[in-house]
Amino acid sequence: MHNIWIIAKKELKRYFTDFRMIIGLFLPGVLIFVLYNAMGSIINNVESLPEEGIIYVENEPEALKNLLDGTPFTIKRSDTKLSKEAALDKLQNEEIDLYIIYEEDFMQKVQNYQVDSGEVAPAVQIYYKSASTKSEQLYTTYLDALNNYETSLSNKFDINKDQNINYDVTVTSDIFQELIATILPFLLLVLLFSSTMGICAESIAGEKERGTISTLLVTPIKRSELAFGKILAISITALSSSVVTFLGVITSIPKLMGGYASGVELYHPVTIILVLFVIMMTVLLFTTILTILSTFAKSVKEASSLAVPLMMIVLFVGLMNFGIDAHANNFVLYLIPIYNVVQSLTSLFNNTINPINFLLCIISNLGYVILGVMLLTKMFKNERIIFNH
Amino acid sequence: MVEILKIDNLTKKFKLSAKQRKINKTTDTYKVALNGLHLNAYKGEIYGLLGPNGAGKTTTLRIICTLIKKDQGTILFDGINLDDKPALIREKIGFLTSELKLDDFFTPNYLCDYFGALHHMKKEEIKERKDFLFNKFGIDKFKEVKIGNLSNGMKQKVALVVSLIHDPEIIIFDEPTNGLDVIASKIVIDYLMELKAAGKTIIISTHIFSLVEKICDRIGIIFDGQMAIEDSLANLTKNETLEELFFRLYEEKGGDLNA
Repeated sequence: MHNIWIIAKKELKRYFTDFRMIIGLFLPGVLIFVLYNAMGSIINNVESLPEEGIIYVENEPEALKNLLDGTPFTIKRSDTKLSKEAALDKLQNEEIDLYIIYEEDFMQKVQNYQVDSGEVAPAVQIYYKSASTKSEQLYTTYLDALNNYETSLSNKFDINKDQNINYDVTVTSDIFQELIATILPFLLLVLLFSSTMGICAESIAGEKERGTISTLLVTPIKRSELAFGKILAISITALSSSVVTFLGVITSIPKLMGGYASGVELYHPVTIILVLFVIMMTVLLFTTILTILSTFAKSVKEASSLAVPLMMIVLFVGLMNFGIDAHANNFVLYLIPIYNVVQSLTSLFNNTINPINFLLCIISNLGYVILGVMLLTKMFKNERIIFNH
Repeated sequence: MVEILKIDNLTKKFKLSAKQRKINKTTDTYKVALNGLHLNAYKGEIYGLLGPNGAGKTTTLRIICTLIKKDQGTILFDGINLDDKPALIREKIGFLTSELKLDDFFTPNYLCDYFGALHHMKKEEIKERKDFLFNKFGIDKFKEVKIGNLSNGMKQKVALVVSLIHDPEIIIFDEPTNGLDVIASKIVIDYLMELKAAGKTIIISTHIFSLVEKICDRIGIIFDGQMAIEDSLANLTKNETLEELFFRLYEEKGGDLNA
């Protein structure tokens, strides 16, 4: 027992006196606390966020016009008179979020209806598009409100009763697109990060650990050239891996979805090129951040440990995208590194990208990369960092 | 004699971390590695730098090679200030120390091409130098074997060749025969003599008195980051051996041989 304790004491001293190891051991826990709290706040904010919904209602009873009061939605009504076909088209194109049809003189019919009379109850039809998060949320909210009202009237009307009508106007390609827009940004983010992480850790920290960096530093090259050369090589390698991954994902996921369509068929070639552009910027951004961490680390193992908190941030940011449409009007979000990538990819895969947002994402990330390279050059000139003094 | 390296008032302090202060049992924030060091080396000579561990020999050589920065002082190479043109100075220097390692994944042949290119050499020049140096140090036999698969002695030879690939004007070696067997050591020493005969300047740092007595023209002995004495070997060993001189100076500087 005595010897066991001596061994254990030595090991514990090793673990708990190494600052970097302590960071690696406990920072994830702290980060989880911080991130989950942040995530909770964001989800609550999203839930309570007043959103504008556009609805088109036929024969809307005066008494039901305020049905959605007290919900997070601000309702705007489309006043233009539309045919049923035109209204469904607009819903399909997401120009309106709900299309509701009340029978003529609905309230009168409800009032006159006797539940046990055996007659057909007055009906309400609510058309929606489940592929649009807003439309689906608005549909659920409206349905709940209408159900409550119906209950208060002892079930004197029916909602979406006809089994032969598909009230959800979503077509298969919409479902597919929605699925891609939800999953692919997260998947790509994780794949890009993991493919970059290994190379970066090895590239600088590996050289420092093996002592090969000093051999390079006594040649006439400038330290900035060394930094740029490293980033270039890592980026090319990570980018090749990412492009192959991207092609694999875009061509295989549809097959898994039942052979409906290929990703290439679903998106315009320009969209695919823009996605690749975002991927390239993301790889550059990850390369720069991870190279900085790798330069700071004394060994490959330490560089990998230092990358763990960053990986958690990437996972968290990627997960934030699930079930939430990209914010089209909040420009500031397209300036936040990593988050702007998720926003841009989601918009691109949803075919709803705003060119200004896209440019903001690319330019801001390019700016972060330039700042990172400047910092890296400074770090390469710092002998305490390079030689681990 | 043409002065090729002139160092005046060289000062370097290293910041001590809390951990280092604890280990060294000191409250000082900095450790003085060099404290106003002066050094002069002339073209075509072999200069031997002597001193006990921690005296500042390696720090001096690393500053000359621009691996680390000095705090104060001036370093002139052939009249060129090191602060003004560090990259040019690096082109003129060949530096070899045990801290410089080669990537295990590559072969001697590839590494010579790589470092030759970094020294802005043309392909033909690199090939010519490789042929000569590989033949000289017997590297031909394993020039296509990855560094990771070589013995320590072979690795040391390759490192030596890499440091000489660009035919530098000044060769700075920290413990040049470290890790080499007696045969390889003789080849290196003979080659240093050849370089000297070709007009190159060689600065070596070593603990081996016999090596200094055998090949050096002038020597400098450093204690506590300062040049204790610098002169020709002949002048310094008129009345005593190099070893006697070294230990006499060591004791005069407060060193204790019984400690």
